[in-house]
Amino acid sequence: MAYTAPKESYSGKVFEVTIGAERPVTFGGENCLPFHSFEGSIPHRPVIAYEIQDVPPDDWPETVKAVYNGVSNDPVSWARFCEEKLNAKAIALRLIGTHPDRENRSSEEARKVVSDVLSAIKVPLIILGSNHVEKDSEVLVACAEAAKDKNCIIGKAQEGNYKTITAAAMAHAHKLIAMSELDINLSKQLNILITQMGFPKERLITDPMCSALGYGIEYTYSVMERIRLAALTQNDQVMQPPMLGDVGTYVWKVKETQASEEELPQWGSLKERSIAWEAVTAVAMLMAGAELLIMRHPEAVQAVEKFIDELIE
Amino acid sequence: MLIIGEKLSIIAKRVREAMLKRDKGPIQEIAKAQWQAGAGMIDANIGPAEDGGESLMEWMVTTIQEAVPLPVCLDTTNYKAVEAGLKVHNNQWGRPLINSTSNDPERFPMLELAAKYNCQIIGLTVGKGGLPADAGERAAIAAEIMARAMEYGVPLEDLYLDPLVLQIATSQDHALKVIEAIKLFKEMNDPPMKTVVGLSNISNGCPKELRPVINKYYFLMLLDAGLDAAIADPKEMAEAMEERPLFTAVIAGKEVEDRKKAEVIKKTVDIIMGRSLYAHSYLDM
Amino acid sequence: MALTGVEIFKLLPNTNCKKCGHPTCLAFAMKLAQRQASLDQCPDVSEEAKRILGEASAPPIRPVTFGVGDRALKMGEEMVLFRHEKKFVNPTVFAVEIKDTEPEEKINKTINDVLTSEIERVGQRLRIDAIFLNNASGDPQRFETLVKTVSSKAPQVPLILSTTNPQAAEAGLKVVADKRPILFGANKDNLEAMVSLAKTYKVPLGVTGNGLEEVSGLTEKIKSMGVEDIIIDSGAKSARQIIEHNTLIRRSALKKNFKPLGYPVINLCQREDQLLEALIGALGVMKYSSIVVLSSAEKWKNLVLFTLRQNIYTDPQVPMQVEQKIYKIGEPKPESPLLITTNFSLTYFIVSGEIENSKVPSRLAVMDCEGLSVLTAWAAGKFTAAKIAQFIKESGIENEISHRELIIPGYVAILSGAIEEKLPGWKVTVGPREANGIPAFLRQRMS
Repeated sequence: MAYTAPKESYSGKVFEVTIGAERPVTFGGENCLPFHSFEGSIPHRPVIAYEIQDVPPDDWPETVKAVYNGVSNDPVSWARFCEEKLNAKAIALRLIGTHPDRENRSSEEARKVVSDVLSAIKVPLIILGSNHVEKDSEVLVACAEAAKDKNCIIGKAQEGNYKTITAAAMAHAHKLIAMSELDINLSKQLNILITQMGFPKERLITDPMCSALGYGIEYTYSVMERIRLAALTQNDQVMQPPMLGDVGTYVWKVKETQASEEELPQWGSLKERSIAWEAVTAVAMLMAGAELLIMRHPEAVQAVEKFIDELIE
Repeated sequence: MLIIGEKLSIIAKRVREAMLKRDKGPIQEIAKAQWQAGAGMIDANIGPAEDGGESLMEWMVTTIQEAVPLPVCLDTTNYKAVEAGLKVHNNQWGRPLINSTSNDPERFPMLELAAKYNCQIIGLTVGKGGLPADAGERAAIAAEIMARAMEYGVPLEDLYLDPLVLQIATSQDHALKVIEAIKLFKEMNDPPMKTVVGLSNISNGCPKELRPVINKYYFLMLLDAGLDAAIADPKEMAEAMEERPLFTAVIAGKEVEDRKKAEVIKKTVDIIMGRSLYAHSYLDM
Repeated sequence: MALTGVEIFKLLPNTNCKKCGHPTCLAFAMKLAQRQASLDQCPDVSEEAKRILGEASAPPIRPVTFGVGDRALKMGEEMVLFRHEKKFVNPTVFAVEIKDTEPEEKINKTINDVLTSEIERVGQRLRIDAIFLNNASGDPQRFETLVKTVSSKAPQVPLILSTTNPQAAEAGLKVVADKRPILFGANKDNLEAMVSLAKTYKVPLGVTGNGLEEVSGLTEKIKSMGVEDIIIDSGAKSARQIIEHNTLIRRSALKKNFKPLGYPVINLCQREDQLLEALIGALGVMKYSSIVVLSSAEKWKNLVLFTLRQNIYTDPQVPMQVEQKIYKIGEPKPESPLLITTNFSLTYFIVSGEIENSKVPSRLAVMDCEGLSVLTAWAAGKFTAAKIAQFIKESGIENEISHRELIIPGYVAILSGAIEEKLPGWKVTVGPREANGIPAFLRQRMS
């Protein structure tokens, strides 16, 4: 029996999304399953954005907080550090300080941070709310305006607040992250509702909600695989936006990135363990179809970039 | 086709309150409406009924049969409540149906009751270790339930196999698997096994206005696969039967006058068949 | 191709004799169709049935076992390309390499690392499964020495003897054949000799080919020479090659029923950079590797890979569950809060994680609801007031805490009255609906 390679081809493909103005980057655009370059084309490598915050990361575990000592007290110096020293291709500014249970900063304050950071960097900016559905509405509307003409990503629009956020993203020509909670059907529904408002599907990014390794990663993984299959095999246009893996914020909350080796000797070295926790979570997202990742630790980012090099050699 | 009216369920607020107060009015009103809409049996769903299940089931059975000349489907996990209902059931219009046994050992005793009281019983093809993954797993469980029924002395003709309909909004790929399971079940004995579904589960979690649409067309597809009975809304089922000729024509690819309805049918069938991913706005696409 | 349960049933005696362990021939037939039973369980099946069923029911990816006893490892039997279709069957085997050119100290350290690698997570014991012995020296004597050393210091651990030199192979096999190691290293140049050894010593044979066409040809030859337990190495080295080869192999076996590639796959994932090695190993776990070979067994790397494997190989239809118990989070005192939730492992991890993040030491009562989440368990009648009350009473927690307040998940607020009724003297407080509201909720109570 002779062997012939069972290659597959599909009727659909993933949309290409370009972000940024001065130093734009593009991701997405492939017409095959993740890294299946043997049977399709993958025009762009995934983009990894470094996460910074509008307030100092006092609650970040020491392993990753220490990397940014001296710069993370101010979002502008933090952003510059990522761009200049870490060679960031993009930066994700999470306005966690605006959360009502945290510092509860105002939209005005958030706006100012966004403007200041935009003035300081050349790479594209992703502007993220604090994941408080009501507050994000006001904050992201203000920030979308402050960032107009900079072709940013605004995120995240959810079922409870997508109308105002989508309108703002549309008005100021930004890209938009649509997030739903580990449910492929709700994800499709949200994308439909957003596009029904007139927002072009080619400017969307789908976030099915990331989970850390050991804390539900398989749910995210399978939802993403199914989304990608729907996009390719069913040519389901509303599922063809590229996908986001918002890795850092989920990973650095879990015990495995915080417990010391003294506490749990069978878990081994904390530093290597926590960096690996972030890197493996990120790689799982890539294998499931993420084209955009948001991460925190530079060593994890570098390892993932090396891995991507091997995937697209 | 046996339609088992589903409306007398503890999940419905009006019914729950009537059960609590032992108010016959709403119960009999709903029973009658279902009978007039074509139901051949009335389902009495009293829930797990931890406290007072026996007297409640007795009351439900007698109240229903006071108003309509139909047998009752006894819908509860409470064994004693089922027995209480069986004891007072009036068999002159047909034998009662126990809802249900399954492959979960906690549900085996229901088969004892079916044998003792010589009544029919639904066998739900699910066990203790999680949901069945596909039609084949459902059939494997069905075979075990059939073997067990015979062991307990329940004739296979008295067993209705239920392939466990899941919500299309969260388990879309099971819609087709259940259709395949019905076909498999029918082949598993000679004469063919009887089959039943809890139909409205398919549209659980869908927007209100979509539910009848999905229920009706799913029902027609199940009917084509050989379904014998359904626990459903008799009014919706009557509508479905009226639409059956149109439905058959549309899925055969024929041109029909009512273009709008044809679109709705095609899109719904696409979702059921898994050709398109379900979303609440699937009809808008 | 695969027969349906009913088609299989028609080939069986239909006597319902129960000798196969199933109540009826129909039930047995259905299990056969699911590949959850084996035809040889039926003593009365006809020769004709055996022939038809034998071909049709052979799993597309051959099951191959190595190692013995309760540490034996099974591979193959996979039925799908995506874990959401149906669960992946046999978890990837992790094997750590030892070379016969390494100094004794390093060899002993690696052996020790393997022996102490076991950890527990969600009720499963996870460990480095096997040792990959590499005849890097090419010398049969040195290889034999290594095999002797490892098998005496780690007698339970399944082994892979990696050599392309038939003399070295035989030297190693003479020492450990009764432990059913894999003989890895057959290729187009040494095929006859290696196949002969595999036959003589009755061990599975691992074959390396340069690409899938060559590998297919080799496995066909091996099978025709009488060895059927084969493991394939397609020569894939980079991440790109691993995805390509492993995907094409699995598709060939499952979709084309292409028998020459219907075997478990071994991937050599060793890298200088340990973090990169972890990522390549992770890739193997996600993309169809039956054996992933690593260069070392650091505890942090083990933890990461074990956890990923556990997650990817979880049955999507069956929720993972944690033990029913009252868990202490932090160092709770008698006055510390008591919360309750279900034993779905994800619920447990998320809720306990948020309690930890709150920095308020607490007790978390986790109740067995068959792995269902809070809302589902409540709807299914598993998370009821009566059951909660019984669990609290029987747990003896009343002896450990100084208060009588139970914090219940916000989604089941409706149960508060009924729980208080069934737990006289207790007060029920409704907690947040979402776990991420827990830190604020707990901290606020402290002030």
